[in-house]
Amino acid sequence: MTKKKDVLLKIRDLKIEGYSDETWVPIIKGVDLTLHRGEVMGLIGESGAGKSTIGAACMGYARDGTRIVDSTIEFDGMELTTASESDKRALRGSRIAYVAQSAAASFNPSHKLIDQHTEAPLQYRLKKRMEAQEDAMELYEKLRLPNPQEIGFRYPHQVSGGQLQRAMTAMAMSCRPDLIIFDEPTTALDVTTQIEVLSAIRDIVDEFNTAAIYITHDLAVVAQMADTIKVLLKGEEVEEAPTREMLENPQEDYTKSLWAVRGFKSPQRKRPTDGTPPLISVRNVDASYTGGEKVLDDVSFDIYPGMTVAVVGESGSGKSTTARVITGLLPPSKGEVLFKGEPFPPDYRNRTKDQLRQCQMIYQMADTALNPKVRISEIIGRPAAFYSGLKGAALKNRVDELLDLIELEPAQYYNRYPPELSGGQKQRIGIARALAAEPTFIVCDEVTSALDQLVAEGILRLLDRLQNELNLAYMFITHDLATVRSIADEVVVMQHGKVVEQGPKDEMFTPPHHPYTDLLLSSVPEMDPDWLTTLLEERGVDNVGDAASARIDPNDPKITGASA
Amino acid sequence: MSVFVIIYYTLLLGGSCLAAYFNKRSAFLLLFSLTLVSFVLGIIGGVPALKFVAVSAGLLAMAAMVSYGFREFLVAITSVNMAKELRTAPLTAGFGMFVIFTYAVAGIFAPVIAPFGEAEVIASAFAPADETMLLGADQLGRDMFSRIVYGARNTVALALAGTLLAFFLGALAGLLAATTGGYFDQFLGRMSDVIMSIPSLIFALLMLSIFGGDLANNTTSFWLLAGFAAVVGVLMVAAVSESSIIGWLIGLAVMAGVATVFAGFMLTIFNPSEVILVLVVAVIYSPRVFRLTRAVAGNVVVMDYIEAAKLRGERKWYLIRREILPNSTAPLVAEFGLEFCFVFLLIAGLSFLGLGIQPPTADWGSMVRENATLISFGELTPLIPAAAIALLTVAVNFVVDWMLYRSSGLKV
Repeated sequence: MTKKKDVLLKIRDLKIEGYSDETWVPIIKGVDLTLHRGEVMGLIGESGAGKSTIGAACMGYARDGTRIVDSTIEFDGMELTTASESDKRALRGSRIAYVAQSAAASFNPSHKLIDQHTEAPLQYRLKKRMEAQEDAMELYEKLRLPNPQEIGFRYPHQVSGGQLQRAMTAMAMSCRPDLIIFDEPTTALDVTTQIEVLSAIRDIVDEFNTAAIYITHDLAVVAQMADTIKVLLKGEEVEEAPTREMLENPQEDYTKSLWAVRGFKSPQRKRPTDGTPPLISVRNVDASYTGGEKVLDDVSFDIYPGMTVAVVGESGSGKSTTARVITGLLPPSKGEVLFKGEPFPPDYRNRTKDQLRQCQMIYQMADTALNPKVRISEIIGRPAAFYSGLKGAALKNRVDELLDLIELEPAQYYNRYPPELSGGQKQRIGIARALAAEPTFIVCDEVTSALDQLVAEGILRLLDRLQNELNLAYMFITHDLATVRSIADEVVVMQHGKVVEQGPKDEMFTPPHHPYTDLLLSSVPEMDPDWLTTLLEERGVDNVGDAASARIDPNDPKITGASA
Repeated sequence: MSVFVIIYYTLLLGGSCLAAYFNKRSAFLLLFSLTLVSFVLGIIGGVPALKFVAVSAGLLAMAAMVSYGFREFLVAITSVNMAKELRTAPLTAGFGMFVIFTYAVAGIFAPVIAPFGEAEVIASAFAPADETMLLGADQLGRDMFSRIVYGARNTVALALAGTLLAFFLGALAGLLAATTGGYFDQFLGRMSDVIMSIPSLIFALLMLSIFGGDLANNTTSFWLLAGFAAVVGVLMVAAVSESSIIGWLIGLAVMAGVATVFAGFMLTIFNPSEVILVLVVAVIYSPRVFRLTRAVAGNVVVMDYIEAAKLRGERKWYLIRREILPNSTAPLVAEFGLEFCFVFLLIAGLSFLGLGIQPPTADWGSMVRENATLISFGELTPLIPAAAIALLTVAVNFVVDWMLYRSSGLKV
């Protein structure tokens, strides 16, 4: 297919300011962007770099509390900064479409998918309702949604996250726009689901010769999708180059550091051989939520002192439920949890203060894990005061010490509130809170999945350092295998509430694998722009995501071998 | 053509031209449409109609200037953080704060401000206004202005006490229900449903006719107050001591002491019939507070930081005090303002019906009723206390609107 190479979107000297503390603060400081028809541009950078703000500005839209100042945004010859609101509205949905990060939150839960899909074409009088519906089904088929004739008549809660994200892409396509803005469309998805969405998006964008801006913080993903990559840092452009060139030969130091992130690897520790009992031992645990079906089915594994056990699996595989059983939030229906060989009371309310102190938790969403109305000093100080009875100057010293430990300047953060901190800093505070109790065991529930790679790596390094200094044991719940590779000593793979495979990390990453482990491993995007193409050729387009995990042969020798 | 009309149109046209020249779209539209409307009004109503427009505009401008000035005054005298919040306040909120401030001054310094005593008869019945009596005399010849000033003290104090008690009971029960859940939550919820299912005015009339008359004496009201304090106290002890028996014993002992002191203190401020009125109001309005608090706290208790605190082994009281309450203050404060208006109107309404505050105590509701006959003679006197009620309610609502807007998290 020949692509027309005329300029579609031309942004010159884009400046956006945000209103805070009664002054206008620059957020975007003069970014230029040129996008041709049919071109896919990847915008990458850490959070706060202004990726999403630029994405919105491409539609001539400034979010509440922000404004666009002396810039030119020219879309297909039309100047958006001076255009009237109704002119801009006529563009949105029909010629420029937007795909948001969380499809589940972007669909209206009380309308059927297809009714939301056909809303734009009907609104702009491009198609009659029946035509639009037929077109929707055609698009669903192109995006390889199962049952394309029927799926549109379901409500958003009746389809899975990956399908919803593809339905959202189909909806963006409904008016055959010239430009689609994808704002982190796969960040919230599992690796296995991510592939189907990525391949679907890539094919459809290619087929309709649609230009796209693809916003993400995952380099491996952007390498698959984009023709050119633009790197942003704090509202300024770092560099822009065609994908291959950028991957092979990054010019700026910042870009190089982004590329090097995946390099961190902690040396693998071995289980103690002198017969020390495991710190935490999960024995044949079954668990279910009130009245529901079994979420955990005969789960057993051990965690030894000072070691990191990574629990991996897709969402819904029972990783977090296992953590809830260990912490005592969800008493198991069968089986038990041993702590240093002693049974741990199943309900946290029956545990002693010391037992509670031993086992701490770090949460995925630092935003909801820290009380926004409590000062940092109290968030960290409370466990220290609660368990060790520290007061006054001793307490302040302890808090300072903890802040030092997590590499934050005590004087600067002591009196601040969580909303004033960045995502990575908040996660550090969460770690400090767990450390303040002086635990021996910490459950880390997807601690890095909400963070950018650079920040996430910092957190991983910190956790690793603390582990060496304080001899902590971690249970590391994640769906990101890159994280597992860098920090884990042992790996437990879970699927549908069962442990399908477990063992030391080096064994887990060398074949032969359990087919499910294999699927997980091969689904992690790599920094090679041809990775997705190669993978799809190997597996076939219909054999990714749910389809692939359903296809695992139950009689595979590795499965029967693993349970033996 | 009078000079007034010439000046009137000159100002309007000049103003709209200036607005148009400086590209002030909304100001221009306002001024010029006012000019057009004035043409029609002038033809129909003549000069008096135009004068009325001018006076209304002047009053509006005065109110705006006062609110602006008061807001800037508050910004200037408060701390940095407070000032930052206050600067976001719209003019209406500034106006509301100014009115509340004025009422507070009038209520607190009533004996100093009022020229005559609350029950002092100084003139003949319904005497017209003169130099000593700003607003004339009421049906017994008492000074209307003095009674309005004293009324601010009585009515507002009662409404404030009633709302505060309703909040203590309702908020505590709501927070406890949200953190405890289960049967306790269900029980409190159904209790509040029962109270809410009875129309509030009828319920109030019923309670007041039971406890009015002979029962409105010191002993009864003391026990009622102590009983109310005991209910609040038991809830609080339940949150603080949880399952430790010693904690319950100490808590109950402390509670009994506090309840006695509280009842004695309330009786020194209010007379027995007022105490009963306050308690009735508190019981009627606490279910609404309960519902709101439970809903707001329900959203907070599911957060991870609450789970973290629970896993740490924290008591319920710590959860309520340090984790949940700071995150629900904004909607609760807004609700407080709103409920205050309702309580205020209920008390005024009851007084109007003759069941609330008993004469000769000055009270705006009963003042409307006492002077109601004057309205048939074309006098505005009975409307003055009514206007005082209306102004305070509107002012409180202006401030509440601002707080609701802030707590809803919308950005300008």
